[in-house]
Amino acid sequence: MEVDQMQRQCLDYTKSLFLEGFLDGQFVQLQQLQDENNPDFVVEVVSLFFEDSERLLNDLTFALDQKSIDFKKVDAHVHQLKGSSSSIGAQRVKNCCIAFRNFCEEQNIDACLSCLQQVKQEYCHVKNKLETLIRLEQQIVAAGGSIPTMEF
Amino acid sequence: MEFVDTRKLQFQPQLQPQQHQHFHVLAVDDSVIDRKLLERLLRGSSCKVTCVDSGDKALKYLGLVDELDDTTSSTSLESSSSSPPPQPLQQEGIKVNLIMTDYCMPGMSGYDLLKRVKGSSWKDVPVVIMSSENVPSRISMCLEEGAEEFLLKPLQLSDLDKLQPYFLKSLDNSCEKESANSSIDSENDDNVVIINNNNNNSISKRKVMSPEPHHERSRPKMKELAVV
Repeated sequence: MEVDQMQRQCLDYTKSLFLEGFLDGQFVQLQQLQDENNPDFVVEVVSLFFEDSERLLNDLTFALDQKSIDFKKVDAHVHQLKGSSSSIGAQRVKNCCIAFRNFCEEQNIDACLSCLQQVKQEYCHVKNKLETLIRLEQQIVAAGGSIPTMEF
Repeated sequence: MEFVDTRKLQFQPQLQPQQHQHFHVLAVDDSVIDRKLLERLLRGSSCKVTCVDSGDKALKYLGLVDELDDTTSSTSLESSSSSPPPQPLQQEGIKVNLIMTDYCMPGMSGYDLLKRVKGSSWKDVPVVIMSSENVPSRISMCLEEGAEEFLLKPLQLSDLDKLQPYFLKSLDNSCEKESANSSIDSENDDNVVIINNNNNNSISKRKVMSPEPHHERSRPKMKELAVV
């Protein structure tokens, strides 16, 4: 495949992620921060997001599994996850967290458990999408091209 | 690999043609992602950045905590011993030109850190508070306590524009209050502007740092701002 075809494919894929609400403009910010001096910035941030999220999701599972649930702790974890997903532009994960926090406040166990499932799913989705996107971008770079970015 | 902590993160940024000294920012945030983002944004402006992941570590870095003390208490640690407080690092030649701190952190909050800094020999170092939550009362509380600026997270390139005046104004010192030149020294309400942004129910209270108009955020509506 020619570089410009790859770039088009990559751009189309990126656009679809925005249209489907997986990513928001903050992700574009990250892409704009990637340059010759910081060529792997997006991958680095996304990797940190994966690590951080997995840790938080484990903590959440543990916290909600307790006989007596400490909702403050649960809320603290969700707050962190909301923050990091917001910082990379993972919009759907972020929105899940917002709903989740409301249920923490209400101390609604069932709703919290349901939210946990949802946020795990959304995280999995966005993780797959981002991994695919990064793969596409890396192919372009390997072929000598530059990563196309969207104007948002 | 965890992206954490202090000295490892001090690189030499690109030197501007007439750059005499590196502007040094102490960045305090418990989120590894936000530290990474902040560090990238600041390095891109040729700043030297030191990242710490808590208010306690920030105080330690500034030399405001006796290492031997238990840092969990919120009482004034500097006065806990009968001898004078430890010399802040600035006296050993380490300068901090700006402190940027997250508001919501486990343990010591950004607001607590702000108060500690403003009550110390570092009081003239500008402090910028960052928060993911747009709570007007929180913002005014921080501004009243002496924060120079309150930035909403997630941080963006355009937020750097608000910090430009600090990069330009600070030359040599971290302690002396700068004279006349810029309006940012005044912390009064004259410079506080309440801006209605795109969202219906939120008010963003920002200090106007420059004549530039309110920066458009290049992203869709932040629905969360309506949640208080």
